[in-house]
Amino acid sequence: MNWKRVLSLMRVDRKSGRLIRGQKLTRYRENLFFAYWPYWLGSIIGLVVGLITGLAYNSAFASDLLGAQEFQQVALSLFFSLPTLVLIYNLVFTMLQQIQKSGVKVSSQVQYWLPMTWQEHTLASVLASLLGFPLASVFFLTFSIVIFSFFSGLVIPALASSLAVFAAAFMASTTTEILRILQVRFIGAVYKSTGRAAVWVRFIGSLLFFIVFYIFYFYIVSGSGALSFIQTIASAQNSAWFIPFVWLGLTLYSLAGGLLLQGIIFLALSLVFIGALFMLATSLNKSFGLYEPPAITVSRGIYAPKTGFLGRLGFSLKEAAIIRKDLRAFTRRRELMTVFIVPIVLILVPIMQSLGQTEAMPSSISFFFAAMTFLFPASVMAMSLGTFMMGEEGQAVWRIYSSPLSERNLVRSKYFFIVLFALIILVVTGIFGALMYHLSFRATSIAFFEGAFLVFALGAVSLSNGIKGADFTETPRPRMIRQSTSLLNLLECFLGGLAILAPFVPYLISSIISGFVPNLSITSFLDPYIVAVISGIIASALTVVFYRVSMGNAKKLLEKAEI
Amino acid sequence: MISLSKDGSAAVELKGVVKHYNEIIAVNQLDLTIQAGEIFGLLGPNGSGKSTTLKMLLGLVTPDSGTVNVLGVNVQKDPVSVKQQVGYVPESPRLYEFLTGIEYLDFIGDIYGMQTDEKKNRITEYLKALQLEGREGDMITSYSDGMKQKIALISAFLHRPKLFVLDEPLNALDPRSARIVKDFLQELKTQGVTTIMSTHVLEIAQAVCDRIGIMYQGKLLALGNMKELREMSKLPDSGLEEIFLKLTGTGDTRAIVEELSK
Repeated sequence: MNWKRVLSLMRVDRKSGRLIRGQKLTRYRENLFFAYWPYWLGSIIGLVVGLITGLAYNSAFASDLLGAQEFQQVALSLFFSLPTLVLIYNLVFTMLQQIQKSGVKVSSQVQYWLPMTWQEHTLASVLASLLGFPLASVFFLTFSIVIFSFFSGLVIPALASSLAVFAAAFMASTTTEILRILQVRFIGAVYKSTGRAAVWVRFIGSLLFFIVFYIFYFYIVSGSGALSFIQTIASAQNSAWFIPFVWLGLTLYSLAGGLLLQGIIFLALSLVFIGALFMLATSLNKSFGLYEPPAITVSRGIYAPKTGFLGRLGFSLKEAAIIRKDLRAFTRRRELMTVFIVPIVLILVPIMQSLGQTEAMPSSISFFFAAMTFLFPASVMAMSLGTFMMGEEGQAVWRIYSSPLSERNLVRSKYFFIVLFALIILVVTGIFGALMYHLSFRATSIAFFEGAFLVFALGAVSLSNGIKGADFTETPRPRMIRQSTSLLNLLECFLGGLAILAPFVPYLISSIISGFVPNLSITSFLDPYIVAVISGIIASALTVVFYRVSMGNAKKLLEKAEI
Repeated sequence: MISLSKDGSAAVELKGVVKHYNEIIAVNQLDLTIQAGEIFGLLGPNGSGKSTTLKMLLGLVTPDSGTVNVLGVNVQKDPVSVKQQVGYVPESPRLYEFLTGIEYLDFIGDIYGMQTDEKKNRITEYLKALQLEGREGDMITSYSDGMKQKIALISAFLHRPKLFVLDEPLNALDPRSARIVKDFLQELKTQGVTTIMSTHVLEIAQAVCDRIGIMYQGKLLALGNMKELREMSKLPDSGLEEIFLKLTGTGDTRAIVEELSK
């Protein structure tokens, strides 16, 4: 194993972020302090947290020895569960890293012609997956517990736990590497065997994968889910001794409990298991590391008959061609499929939060969730699609630039796509919301109108920004819009959404006041349909203005067309 | 500078064209006229301004000063109508890899406003000629570089443009397909179609092009047919390679090779 080569490979991975940040590569001078800022920051925050907790511990238990002992027991059980916790968190975060990379073959392509071994490549890949948040969080945790241990007298358990935490992070990343290779290999085989249905297998399979992944993610990172998760791990670790992933935690537990032999056995088993995982990852990389995309046969001899249905809607041949192309892009490109996940996840989150609640929701809360189900997913869809629609062209954007397309063709086709899909989401989530929250016909129809107003207006706002800030960079991962423009878009959409919903503010105030003064109604003189019409006028004005801005931005983009 | 004058209309006219990329001058006061029905080769070392010049013909790069007229139309004023009449292949064509070959060509046909039957016939014809039959229904992501280049070339030929702008068109092509493309360009020339191509393979330029322009540091060093270039370089019996190396001042390759092999 040549460590220099491993470090060089890892450095390549870290430096790939320059492309996203848009730094001038020709004048790049690396400042080591800034290059490693997440780890400095993690360490400094950990140090501060450890110091504050330690000082608080000292002042709280200065004269309370019994209390101090109880607190130490709690701290020790946290130390013992940390390796398993870190393992699970890092499994999620290293998988997130892999998902982000999955859209780009170039960044994950093994440079097999260079004189390096598969062990070196695998180790670099495993360690590189830990770069960023996973490693910074490990630094944060270890600094916190070690600094705290100086105050509580738990220095040795804290140091042992810190070492175990690093080992657990490595174990998590190695497991992710194994899963990544197997997934690529397995999915490749599935696509190949499914033939023409491969596109739909890929689309539905990816959606399912993301949904399951995000349910798990939200479960372990959100409020009560996270707490119950930690408690479960702390209590279930001992009974799950046969699972190799908890052996690190059991080593600490055994050693601290004076079970020296058991501790040594678990330590040895842990080391053997980590070694075995790494060997498995290496051997899988050796066998399947040089991935060739399978030849997916989708169609034979299909020619679009002029404009077809889109033509009847008033679209020209060119516009219909772009819409059809974009439809295929969003159902076949994995990084674009995530757009469809967000609305589903937005519906899942309140359902997951309400799971286990035995009491019925108060009507005002229920109304809030219903409104959120109607308005939020479709708006988010319109915003996401708007920001992606231009940047998703990627490096193939030369095709758009060199084709005889006007700004009108471009904006009409892209805007139609945004509105169409956001409206589909509105209908689906709206039906779900109306049934789940038992809304009246009046509330349902007004919610549909408001959802549609938001879709049209926010779609136009986002498209204007998506064209202006389009980012065609594909390596190391497609971003599609510059970060600064994305933030600006978020702000504009937030303000736009507020403006559209502003006429309904009296209903919100009424809902809040009714909790205190039940008989007072300040909305009795308002007709909700008239309020919706006012809201619609505001939305139309925003739509017209930002559609024109989109046209202006598209004109500049096509004129500039620097590729 | 030697220039070839021909009767007939100019397909391309560049006058006093300048293009900077920050402090770097990519194209410097370029004057060039290419007649209709010509096959014109644009040569030059890396970074000499060839690709920038080709992109300016389609309005993909806006010149800082000067005018670019293509097929009688000012590119800056009406880029859409110029693009409608031009077939373009960039140096490294990135295609929509999520489409199949046939879906991509179908898309191109629609973008150029072709009728369904015409589009279908031509796609079938070109796929057969360039031996892509049987793979047209596969996603482009699984194609080899040569197959992708063939798709890029077909997409340039499909709408039968009056002008081809081809940047390294024969890159990665197998000998048979390269021969077909070369012969096809010669055939189209007889129908008045103009081709402007950039290449580093000097044998191809010598064999295919009527006139050759050699660019160096953003300027047109020499322009003419092979006979005129030989006269200009005072290398009467030499091939294009010797002429190119002499004119661009990069001829002292022997000393470099000796130094490298030490």
